[in-house]
Amino acid sequence: MIKIGILSFAHMHVWSYATCLKKLGAQIVGVYDDDKMRGKKGAGQFQAKYFADYKKLLSTDIQAVVVGSENSRHKELTVAAAQAGKHVLCEKPMATSIKDAREMIRACEANNVKLQIAFPCRYSPAARCVKQMLADNKLGKILAIKGTNHGRMPGGWFVEKGKSGGGAVIDHTVHVTDLMRWMLGKEVKRVYAEIDTRFHKLKIDDCAMITMDFDGGIFATLDPSWSRPNKSYPFWGDVTMKFIGTNGTLDLDLFNQKTTLYNEEQLKAAWTYWGDNIDFGLVKSFLDSIADNTPSPVSGYDGLKALEVAVAAYRSAKLKKPVEVPFK
Amino acid sequence: MLKVGLIGAGFIGNLHANDWQAVKGAKLVTVADINSDKAKKLACKFNLRWTDNGDSVVDDNGIDIVDVCLPTMLHKEYVLKAAKNKKHVFCEKPIARNLADAGSMVQACKKANVKLMIGHVVRFFHEFVKIKEQIEGGAVGRVGVVRTSRCVGFPRFSPESTAWYSDFDKSGGVALDLIAHDFDWLRWCFGEVERVYGRGLAHKLKDHIDYALVTLRFKNGVIAHTEGSWAEPGGFKTAVEIAGDKGLIDFKSDEAKPIHAWMKQPEGGNSAPETAAPTLTSPYTLELQEFVNCIVENSSPNPSPEDSMMSLKVALAALESIKTGEVIKL
Repeated sequence: MIKIGILSFAHMHVWSYATCLKKLGAQIVGVYDDDKMRGKKGAGQFQAKYFADYKKLLSTDIQAVVVGSENSRHKELTVAAAQAGKHVLCEKPMATSIKDAREMIRACEANNVKLQIAFPCRYSPAARCVKQMLADNKLGKILAIKGTNHGRMPGGWFVEKGKSGGGAVIDHTVHVTDLMRWMLGKEVKRVYAEIDTRFHKLKIDDCAMITMDFDGGIFATLDPSWSRPNKSYPFWGDVTMKFIGTNGTLDLDLFNQKTTLYNEEQLKAAWTYWGDNIDFGLVKSFLDSIADNTPSPVSGYDGLKALEVAVAAYRSAKLKKPVEVPFK
Repeated sequence: MLKVGLIGAGFIGNLHANDWQAVKGAKLVTVADINSDKAKKLACKFNLRWTDNGDSVVDDNGIDIVDVCLPTMLHKEYVLKAAKNKKHVFCEKPIARNLADAGSMVQACKKANVKLMIGHVVRFFHEFVKIKEQIEGGAVGRVGVVRTSRCVGFPRFSPESTAWYSDFDKSGGVALDLIAHDFDWLRWCFGEVERVYGRGLAHKLKDHIDYALVTLRFKNGVIAHTEGSWAEPGGFKTAVEIAGDKGLIDFKSDEAKPIHAWMKQPEGGNSAPETAAPTLTSPYTLELQEFVNCIVENSSPNPSPEDSMMSLKVALAALESIKTGEVIKL
């Protein structure tokens, strides 16, 4: 039974990862969280010990950690875990700067531990099916992709720049950018973005429109906006991709396996997703790569390349012109 | 009763001929097409005179309104001829392939004191009118991000039409011919555009495919994303999403259809459904009626000729951005 430590439950996805870890038979030994209440709650829920100091947790015999802190602390926690010889599953976005992301990759390489970035959309059966259809050349040559990763405004530390590194753009650019890279096997070379705050009274971006040019002439747009009304929208948001090929088009709506509920007390319709839990595939692949000692299925490099697009988007919006990636 | 002469009996000319029948205060009397079979067929259907010479329509003293349903590159020639002969002109969108042509058309009509209206018919589509009403009624609060989509297969109304649509210099591809509709509607809703960034396949028209994704930044801050596709084997569809600080409007034409019919196939296989979303009044009748009313009342049509010029400007900026890869400021 693999022993795991959780480094912060700040990101809500980590609750799901921890549940998946338990289901897969992992033992969650300890939970570190700088929010004592949250940490103790997590420790209690997953039969683990609470640590107020992550260094103490890292000095136990755990083999791996899940880094689920605020984005700005991913680097500190990942580097410390790597130096302690622990494998790392790190929440997305990988970091708040390219420099931090590179440092994380270097630390994990130097200490010979795995670094996996949490891009669970790769484990969606629908996404896998589309990847296979593209590989089978069903649509002919791919010419363009239209993507969205809409969401509600998450609030909390997500809208504090010092902790999140940015708003909707850093939060919602990386998933679909990663899917595009993964499905096409191509890299982004140029980014343009319009970015603004138009939905909420925030000092951080809540909407954007990003255009990307890939190697080989494929172009794509991505709408990462927190544009789903927080109180009235029936779901948290969406992950969609439309593919334009020389032989046809394909619409992917990753979470469109759902029921609709109309409830007199909720006073709004609600969609319930009944498709497979994509976090389960993500967590399982992390444990498998450790057990089999195979390369990380979603590497630090993948995390870096997706982050690069978000960082380039901010830079582009500031300069009001397209920005080349990778940065020199 | 105003007498109408139609030039061009292609796809849109046939639509217009049908829709003129329900317009009050005007009567379609003659049709011209360089292909006399097309002209004859349409004339026969609606009991019209026909000719294979467009000039004889603009020269006809009995005609008050010329309806130009020709390929884009021929708009200028016939609008100028009609204006010269003091005829009001309804002209299909886009107004022209370039700004100079559009400007000379607008000037000629102004000088001749005749009305000019361009067929930006989306301003008359019921769903688009309703969405604009909702926005103006404050249904979504302050608008932040807008998404529109207009997708269809490559135009194959006839071999001749496919030929000119395939010629980028003539048609301008989806950015000019298809999503010019959305650019115009978006301007109607949100005012003027500050800058444009787009990507597209314009150079691939000859493979009978075009696709464009265009981001518009409006002066009032609205961010709009417009998809235009001539790459769609699945048939015509549109979509609009308006996200504001108080709500969201979501429209998808393929989900807004009251009729879906599935017919048994002779060989027992499955079929795609036949769908329909009929309305009592056609948007084309409404736009033509608007034009007739403006002539009768001597008022400015919606869209005005200047509107159509500005919408062309946006479409040309999108093409320029697609070509150069740069941001185009208006």
